[in-house]
Order: sequence, then C-alpha cells, then structure tokens
Amino acid sequence: MVHALREKAAISGVGETAYTRGTTKSGLALQLEASLKAIDDAGLSPREIDGVIPYFPGGGIAEDFIANLGLPDLTLSLFVPMGGATCVSAIQSAAMAVATGVAKNVLISVGRTGYSGARVSTRLQQFPQFALAAEFEAPIGMFAPAQLYAQGARRHMELYGTTPRHFAEVAVVTRQHAILNGNVVMNKPLTVEEHHASRMISDPFRLFDCSLESDGGAAVIVSAADRARDLKKPLVTIMGVAEGHPESPASIAQRPDLLDFGLVKAAKRGYDMAGLGPKDIDVAEIYDCFTFTVLRQLEILGFCKTGEGGPFVMDGRIALGGELPVNTHGGLLSQGHVVGLNHVIELTRQLRREAGKAQVKDAEVGLVTGYGDMGDGSLAILRRAA
Amino acid sequence: MSTTPAQPERPLPTPTRDSQPYWDGMREGRFMLQHCAACGKVRHYPRPACPHCHSMESKWEAAPLGGKIHTWTVCHHPFNFFFKQAAPYIVALVDMEAGVRVNAPLRGIAEKDLEIGARVRLAFEPVTKDVTLPYFVAG
Repeated sequence: MVHALREKAAISGVGETAYTRGTTKSGLALQLEASLKAIDDAGLSPREIDGVIPYFPGGGIAEDFIANLGLPDLTLSLFVPMGGATCVSAIQSAAMAVATGVAKNVLISVGRTGYSGARVSTRLQQFPQFALAAEFEAPIGMFAPAQLYAQGARRHMELYGTTPRHFAEVAVVTRQHAILNGNVVMNKPLTVEEHHASRMISDPFRLFDCSLESDGGAAVIVSAADRARDLKKPLVTIMGVAEGHPESPASIAQRPDLLDFGLVKAAKRGYDMAGLGPKDIDVAEIYDCFTFTVLRQLEILGFCKTGEGGPFVMDGRIALGGELPVNTHGGLLSQGHVVGLNHVIELTRQLRREAGKAQVKDAEVGLVTGYGDMGDGSLAILRRAA
Repeated sequence: MSTTPAQPERPLPTPTRDSQPYWDGMREGRFMLQHCAACGKVRHYPRPACPHCHSMESKWEAAPLGGKIHTWTVCHHPFNFFFKQAAPYIVALVDMEAGVRVNAPLRGIAEKDLEIGARVRLAFEPVTKDVTLPYFVAG
C-alpha cells in the first residue's frame, strides 16, 4: 500500500542569508531574512504562511513570526527538538500538516549566531536533550559533540580499519564543492596534507574533521503538492520522509552499539515510503557535523556495508561527477552551519537544476539526512516532478 | 563562600532526585547502581522507571569497580577553561562488570597503549566537599 504522505507535500520555497563568520544581526533577524527570501522564492506572500516550525532552542518562536511577518492566522506552531536531525524531521511534521489540511504553507527556519554568539560548548549545555551529558560527562571533561562523537569514530577505526585518510577525503571533497557555490565560509582549496596537519580537537577528530561555527539563516517552505504545482518554481515533491531515535537517545555512552544512529530506523521507513532505494539516488546531502558522521551514514543508508564507509568515499566516488555526489554545496564542514537546513536547500536546488557550477547532471531523485543530539536521525527523499 | 576569580570554575554535576544516590555513593567511595526492584535489571544513568518492566520501584547496590575499555578519545581542545591545563587528557568509555558503561578520565596509561578490551579499574577523586568524580587506572 502506498504511504499516505508520499507525494502529498512539496518543498515550494528555499532561502538563505550570506554564510559568514561574524555578524551584527541577531539570530531572529537572520531567520526572518532567510524566511522572506524563501517565501519570495515560492511566489507566496508572507500572509500565506499559516504554519511555523522554527529551530529550537535558539532563534525565534511563533510569536516572533506573527509579530514580524504579520501572519494573520497561524494554524500550526511546532518545535522539533532533535538537534541536527531537527530540520529534516520538521519536513515530516510539515508534510503531515499540509497533507491533512491543518496548514497550507509551513515555514521551517533556522537563524544561528554560532560564530558571533554563544559557542557550542555553552550552547548545548542549555538543551534539555543534553541534561544527562551535562550531569555525568561535562564534569569529567566531555562537553562538546566533537568529544562525545569521537569515541564512536575511534571504535569504528579500531573495528574496521577506518583511517584519517578516509576522513580527509570527505573534508577535501566537501571543500571542492564549497568553492563552486560562492556563498560559503571556507572558499580556499584544502589538501589531504593540510587536513592531516590541522590541530587535534578530540582524537580522532582534527580541526578539518569538524563542522564550522558560523553565522547565518536558512528557511524552506513546505506546501501541499497540488498547490505547489501552481507556484513559481519547478515542483520538488517529498517522496519519503522519516525520523528515528536510537536506544539510549540522550546518552551515547550507554548505547549498546555506539554506531547505532536513529537513521537506522529512519532510513528503512523513508525508503519504504518513497518506494525507492539507494540505487535510485542521484545526489545525497548528508548531515556532516563531522567527517566520520558522513561515512557512517553512507553505510546506514545502504550505499555500502557497515565498516566500508572509509573505502567507499575514496577515488572520487562522492565528488561531483562521481557515482554518488555528496554535499554538493559544501555542507556544514565548508559552507556554513545552519543545522542542515542548507542541505535541504541544496537538494531542492539540485532537483530544480538551479545548482549552478555544482549541478549534478540530470538529477531526478535525491536524499537529505539529519543527525543530531546524541544520535537522532532523519531522512527525506525528494524527486523532481515530471 | 569564598570566590577565586583567578581560577576557572570546575563544571560540577547537579544531582537530581533520581541520581542523588549515585553521587552519594561516589562521595563514599562506592560505585552505586540503580536496579529495578521488580525485575532486578540494572540501569544507568539513573531514571524513575524501568524500561523493561515499567516498575517505578528501584534499589541501589554497590557494583564492582573493574571493567574493560570499550573505546576512548583524547581531548586536546578543552572546550572549557577549567580543562585547559589538563589537556590533552584521555577519556575512556568502559564496559563495567555490572553491565553498564562509565565515561571517565583514564590516568597512567599512554595513548599508544590504549586498546579495546584492556582491563581498567574505577577510582574516586574528591573534588569538593560534596562531589567526588570517577576516573580510571590500569587494572
């Protein structure tokens, strides 16, 4: 039986600010700027937005959107507190809302002052999802995702022989893609040698294995597919979308298998809903908080077997022109960190054939993931409508 | 209470009603773990309900201090001023004999000698009058 949500919703508008290191704007201002661009991109009026899912915590809340955009009748206000899995999971919530008629046009948005405002080690301690880490792990010297996720990466290396060379390949290819984009924080080429020489953050993660602390805003609009067909841009429909939560969701330390991400559950559901599999994917935008996180998600998504993520990314396979171009915009590693909403924007542009120098030829079907908190996962499979 | 502005503050745990017995145990030099009073299964970190049988009754028992390294990281960037002097420091995630894991600094073992399965032993470091934190030594 075809899933009730398949092809019922579409990404109708996308928008983003400049990605920078340094801004005088507030997180809310960045979020509103990106939102207005996304609304314009869809060919909508701000008054037609009747649902909002702002990134939380940090940035605006529904009240701010009503007050600033003059929304006359908001019918849906949600938070999806899943860290880096939030944005793609929010697409599921938005699709449910527009498919059932609860809302017509749902705005998902992020505004972040990760460089000019509070840094990651301070920011995350305020998340309720990080309460256990704050109580049991911060006092012994583990504060940041770079530290908490490093132990899983180390285990993958010990069990499967994954190496820093594999990590470097993800960083270098992602940078090559960023340079083609234009709106990126990191616009100079990166070599494998420079990756290996960069300072150690938390072994095995070096500086260039870690995503950026940057400032910027991003937004997308989800509309009912039948309505989006009549809007400004080529129709990009949501074929499959899902979220998944791993065992021991608030503590990686206590998870029986450290390499079990919520994406294990989400991937199966997302593929089943779409009626598609890894072989159908032309381009993949993979949540890249760390280089290792990309390798492991490629395994979970079925592009290769568990333990083979390292060799899989080599030899140009994930570069433009390769078998599976990954993070064609430069990702969180090189473009900017807006919690992966930039990945959704890039996939939409790829499928609209608006990706400029980074365009994957004839891209029809693509996939985007989210990964967040202590391993929550989300997946959306989008298709360019015929 | 006196303040010491020159010295960055150590991040300390804020015990909850659920976790207080664990921290009381640490202070007394014992590794206390929460067990379901109905089905007997151990759980860590502490929480109100047993995920196996959903009983909300639990009891606390002292657990053995031995374990084996599951994985590790070496923290070079401190992320917190207090840990700046200690960096780089090894944090080992250890499979404890009782069937739970503990994440804590590992002292007295060189980075090159780290391996999955190596035996370690939990030790106790009082850091304030009220708070004692765990660390590991070769064992």
